[in-house]
Amino acid sequence: MVLINRFLTDCSTGEQLTVIKVAAGIRAKTRLANLGIVPGVTIIKRRAAPFRGPIEIIVKGTVLVIGRGLASKIIVNHKA
Amino acid sequence: MIKHKQKRKNAIKNLNDKRVINIALAGNANVGKSVIFNQLTGLSQTIGNWPGKTVELKEGHLDFLGYRFDIVDLPGIYSLSTYSLEEILSREYIVSDKVDVIINVIDATNLERNLFFTFQLLELKVPIILAINQMDILRKRNMELDFKKLEEYFKLPVIPVVAIRGIGVHQLVEEAIELYVYNRPHFHYIEGGKKLHENLTHHHYHNHHRHHFKNSKNEKEKTLKGKENFLFPDLSSILSYGKEVETKIKYLEKEIENSKDVPFNCNYPERFLAIKLLENDGEIIKLFNTSQRSKSVIKLAEKFRTELENYHGEEITTITSSEIYNNIRQIIEKVIISKPSGKRKTNFAAILDNLTTHSFWGYLILILVLIGAYLFTFLIGGFLGGLIENAFDIWSEKVFSIYGTDNFLISVFWYGAMGGFFGALGGVLVYVIPFFLIIEILQDSGYLPRAAFLMDRFMHSLGVHGKTIIPMILGFGCNVPACTGCRIMETEREKKISIALTSLVPCAAVMVVVLGLVGRYLGIGWVIILFGINFIVIIFVGKVLNKIMPGECTELIMEMHEFRVPNYSVIIKQTWVRSKEFIYKSMPIIIVIGIILELLLIFRVLDPINEIFAPVTVIWLGLPVITGIFLVYGILRKELTLILLEVLASSMSIPLLELLNPIQMIVFCAVTMLYIPCFVTIVIIARETNWKYALQISILEIGLALLIGGIINWSFVLFSNL
Repeated sequence: MVLINRFLTDCSTGEQLTVIKVAAGIRAKTRLANLGIVPGVTIIKRRAAPFRGPIEIIVKGTVLVIGRGLASKIIVNHKA
Repeated sequence: MIKHKQKRKNAIKNLNDKRVINIALAGNANVGKSVIFNQLTGLSQTIGNWPGKTVELKEGHLDFLGYRFDIVDLPGIYSLSTYSLEEILSREYIVSDKVDVIINVIDATNLERNLFFTFQLLELKVPIILAINQMDILRKRNMELDFKKLEEYFKLPVIPVVAIRGIGVHQLVEEAIELYVYNRPHFHYIEGGKKLHENLTHHHYHNHHRHHFKNSKNEKEKTLKGKENFLFPDLSSILSYGKEVETKIKYLEKEIENSKDVPFNCNYPERFLAIKLLENDGEIIKLFNTSQRSKSVIKLAEKFRTELENYHGEEITTITSSEIYNNIRQIIEKVIISKPSGKRKTNFAAILDNLTTHSFWGYLILILVLIGAYLFTFLIGGFLGGLIENAFDIWSEKVFSIYGTDNFLISVFWYGAMGGFFGALGGVLVYVIPFFLIIEILQDSGYLPRAAFLMDRFMHSLGVHGKTIIPMILGFGCNVPACTGCRIMETEREKKISIALTSLVPCAAVMVVVLGLVGRYLGIGWVIILFGINFIVIIFVGKVLNKIMPGECTELIMEMHEFRVPNYSVIIKQTWVRSKEFIYKSMPIIIVIGIILELLLIFRVLDPINEIFAPVTVIWLGLPVITGIFLVYGILRKELTLILLEVLASSMSIPLLELLNPIQMIVFCAVTMLYIPCFVTIVIIARETNWKYALQISILEIGLALLIGGIINWSFVLFSNL
């Protein structure tokens, strides 16, 4: 199976993903790191809000909501 | 600050009677901190502000085992960085001498995220008690924690707690006494640790310690600075950032130590400073930016940071966060004992979660929740208000049958003071209390983040992210706490826009006016139209601010908690605490103004003020001349506009409908709705931002109100001419 890096926004819901890179600003990046979203971590895309709204993910056993703009800067991969 | 100093002074003064232990509850949001806080402090709690800041400060006290515990519930945060003002205030508070013992509340079902905060807290080297809450839920999931291991790792007291049932809560306070008295942690599970303390009973704390302290003056002074004497355990085995980072931290630590000739006014341990310098923490760098000597430390930290970032190919905070999470992972693997688990069934909470975030049902539920909150408020408020109004009428008749109708003093007292009092009671308080209740239920159940999730996209078009919907919903109750609530917005720009939008949300007082006038005399249709106009104004203001304010909208990052059954005891206490503030702060103003107004009416002082406003009120808005002064009073409290109308009508012995015709009612309500945030809100806005912004908002809103009021009036005039 070929692993292709994609943006979190482009994945379908229910997928188990590995974070590859967070290509956001330092502030958002620090925040996400504090919440456990660092390269190598496994997340699950849980749902996306209607009308191109924010993305809901499960990370470290908790549910986080991330704005679509930021979610589109998180690069993920299928869990190997 | 002054309040705390005063408290400290009193504490010293009362030392012979009762020793004071200052406790702070710290932890992530939604881990049961407020439940523990409620259990401990009961009804003694007050909600205030941090000195000079707009972050909410919850304080309360408890008298227990001969000690007085002053307890502060710190805001729920995830880290001790500088992401929000709450984080900065919390860490400054934790190391200050205003607090003796920290109780770190941890959600057992979410150890990984919670321990991240704990690890940051441990770097502050303060007396910490780890309260592991929600043990019941963990056990329901067929899991158990190895408390002996936890204690071995953290070398600090670890107490299992089921906060909602009060299990373990008072043990936390006993543990606080232990830390405070012995200045070292006491172990429950580790062999040998128990021996030292095992014969201690409540009786022991009560008598032995009291006696002990009374005899020794030095002891007294010592315990006042108990935190400095606290023997913080060596936790280097778990608090490690890996070899490369640790070497650099150690080096920086030494450098910081060497530059100690610089007077440092901070209580942070050197290691914490070193880590934060490495992490490029703005607030800590400010501390070091004082002398040449300490500036060289910043330079060194910069150099190290670049080295590490190049080596790992990641930003420093990503490196440190990953390391902390790695350490946590290792601990968790050792301490969580999973038993073969049963199947996780789809429970009610999960179904509710799906529905409330659904693309159709979600919005429907949001609308229903808002309407439901209103209906609840007004059915209860209207019912109770009616009872109080009737009672006042009956008593009025009695009073005037005894004293006659033209007794000057009685008239001032009864219509002024008592009229104001009953007006506030029956016209305002009966609505405010049920609304606070609903708000608390929404907050405690975990519904509000769902609303933020659904509205994020829409709010972006107004220049803010979805979280703004939370203060806006709160704004329906009262703009004052809601504007304070805008602190959840992370940047200055968003805070400003949120405040402007929230101050336009029709609060309970506006609701009282609109329903009491238009709703009562013209029907619900006009109420809906008025709210529709208000809604359009909010969107308009948001769009405009989004255009003119420099900067960009930041993105939403928010934890979504599971739904839960609200804890009725917390809700009722919180409702009471919030209502209490309202009663103490507003009722006296209303009564005094009632008396003044009655006097002004009797001596006809109002006429010149009204004349000044006449061109606007009479010609442009088509209102009776007397309403000019009412609108001025309305700045103090918006419901006064209605109460005063009622007072005026009753003193003239005519029904309200003769005072204002239907068109005037609609215009009057539209103006009251929009024309200005109330006085207290303006003060809060000024404190949150600055006076210039508060005035800008006020002027903008006056302009909009006059414009819309005039348009309504003149379209009626022209329409009826046709």
